[in-house]
Amino acid sequence: MSVIRTESLTKRYGSTSVAALDGLTIDVGPGVTGLVGANGAGKSTLIKILLGLLEPTAGDAQVLGHDIRSDGTAIRTVVGYMPEHDCLPPDMRAIDFVVHMARVSGLPPAAARERAADVLRHVGLAEERYRLMGGYSTGMKQRAKLAQALVHDPRLVMLDEPTNGLDPAAREDMLALVRRIGHDFGIPVLVTSHLLGELERISDHVVVLDSGQLLRSEATGSFLADTGVVLVEVIGDRGPDGVDAQTRMGEALAARGVTCRPRGALIEIQPAAPPGGSDGIPEDREAAVLQLDTLRDLVRDAAADLGLGLVRVQPQTGRLEDVFREEVAG
Amino acid sequence: MASERTGVIHDIGYRTYTGPREGRWAIVAALLRHGALSTFGFGRSGRAKVLPFGLLVVTLVPAIVFVGILSFIGMDAELLNYAGYQQVTSGFVSLFVAAQAPVLFTRDLRSGAISLYLARPLGAATFALVRWGSLVLAILAFVVTPLLVMFFGGLGAGASFPEEAPKLLVALGGAVLLAVLLATIGATAASLTMRRGLAIGGTIVVLIFGLGATAILQEIGREQNQEAAAAWLSLFSPFVLVDAVQHGLGDATSSFETPPDDPATAALLLLSALALAALALLMLVRRYRRRGSR
Repeated sequence: MSVIRTESLTKRYGSTSVAALDGLTIDVGPGVTGLVGANGAGKSTLIKILLGLLEPTAGDAQVLGHDIRSDGTAIRTVVGYMPEHDCLPPDMRAIDFVVHMARVSGLPPAAARERAADVLRHVGLAEERYRLMGGYSTGMKQRAKLAQALVHDPRLVMLDEPTNGLDPAAREDMLALVRRIGHDFGIPVLVTSHLLGELERISDHVVVLDSGQLLRSEATGSFLADTGVVLVEVIGDRGPDGVDAQTRMGEALAARGVTCRPRGALIEIQPAAPPGGSDGIPEDREAAVLQLDTLRDLVRDAAADLGLGLVRVQPQTGRLEDVFREEVAG
Repeated sequence: MASERTGVIHDIGYRTYTGPREGRWAIVAALLRHGALSTFGFGRSGRAKVLPFGLLVVTLVPAIVFVGILSFIGMDAELLNYAGYQQVTSGFVSLFVAAQAPVLFTRDLRSGAISLYLARPLGAATFALVRWGSLVLAILAFVVTPLLVMFFGGLGAGASFPEEAPKLLVALGGAVLLAVLLATIGATAASLTMRRGLAIGGTIVVLIFGLGATAILQEIGREQNQEAAAAWLSLFSPFVLVDAVQHGLGDATSSFETPPDDPATAALLLLSALALAALALLMLVRRYRRRGSR
């Protein structure tokens, strides 16, 4: 089932020729979807349009089957939104505010109180929920913002930079929470971030935007596919001629016909001429496994012959950051 | 539940909500009530209640004094001038509007909560109007309370119900008109700025200086024998306008120099004031719509 579907969505502000969104066609399914893009790539514009707050210049979009032009109210009833900037009145207690937000979304009084308490517990605001939000730390504020987005049991939540301004520990907690919402709570999540490392860990699907255009929309797994490169690290004494362990290992590997080069303290082994495919990665999965096995044996033997300790033999996977960099550059 | 395991917290997991959801009007009613109450500081910090209730107490003082004079000295019930009461306490009413309108408007803009409200079912236009409605209700409660104290206190002190009731009704009508006009001015000033001080200052200038200037100009108009034209000056101050409408349409005693003597002029004044208020509300809605799209 498609949660968000856009068709040639375009938004131009005023009469400028620069488009904030330019013919964007995407299809977002359940689970956690990461929306990636540099500042000004159109992420927030897209969210505003999906909430029915901003009229697109051209194109169509549906959120949970509701049309954004005619069904804004229906969309806002079933969508939870966590904005990027501050949005909490400092002179209210979190519990009162979240109850109020539930009421504004149409929950009856008793249900609003019950769900507010539930949701605040889920986001990890325990006793603090009885304090005025003006005295909250950034981490607590982010949790309260998340709670108000969940309190009416939405069928989709849109989180705009939920980890903004958090310290590493709070960031981990927030990411775990976002993952739980998407997987354990069963609520589809659209989450934006400019930190790609975060998104590649929590999202099932990634949409990359650049200047309002779609660069890529793929399952996170395909971004992180095996590149065929293997990294090797060794430890040991210098040789009799004063050459260090890494260089000795590299030379030994080269002598065995392996293409390799140093990368920092590691040795990077390029994939050998594949038995099947031509792009360096064997098409056949079994052949690939076999090839990696042979390579591991070879590395182990070379290290044993030299009397060196093997610290790691690690297949290198792709990173979202690399994809993003090459897409934007290209 | 077993009593020996009370200290244990059970993670019961996420629960979905399958119960009923309220419609548009129920949401409007809830938001209206919440807004009116938070104007008086309910649901906010303890400090937030000091100013509105302090002003309410001060505004009640003349009413209590009137009732006291009536019961202890036994003076004539003519003392109970309901229609003229708001003009007596106009300074406090103005302060209340100036200080509390930002609670409903500036506070949302400043804290950013506005973007949460606009992402909820109601939408920008309805939300702006509901906020305005909350302010009308709060001001109405503020200006009607002294009238009721005076009415019931007067009855207790021996005033006659058939004589007092029509006078009170005229004053209640005036109070509704006053609340509508003051809320519109307060909402316009408070929704234009993110700074509470600026909103308060702007409202005070419009209300208190507007009242003073109108009174002076009407005085000059009377001396120049331009009373008909001077009556129209009441459009510059809600207090003078309400007085004019109460005098012209309800036959109440006027507190100002040049009230309109014929009902037609009073009715025209009323319609013009309402038209101006509607225009201001239209601009308020437009501002909130633009706000949502940003």
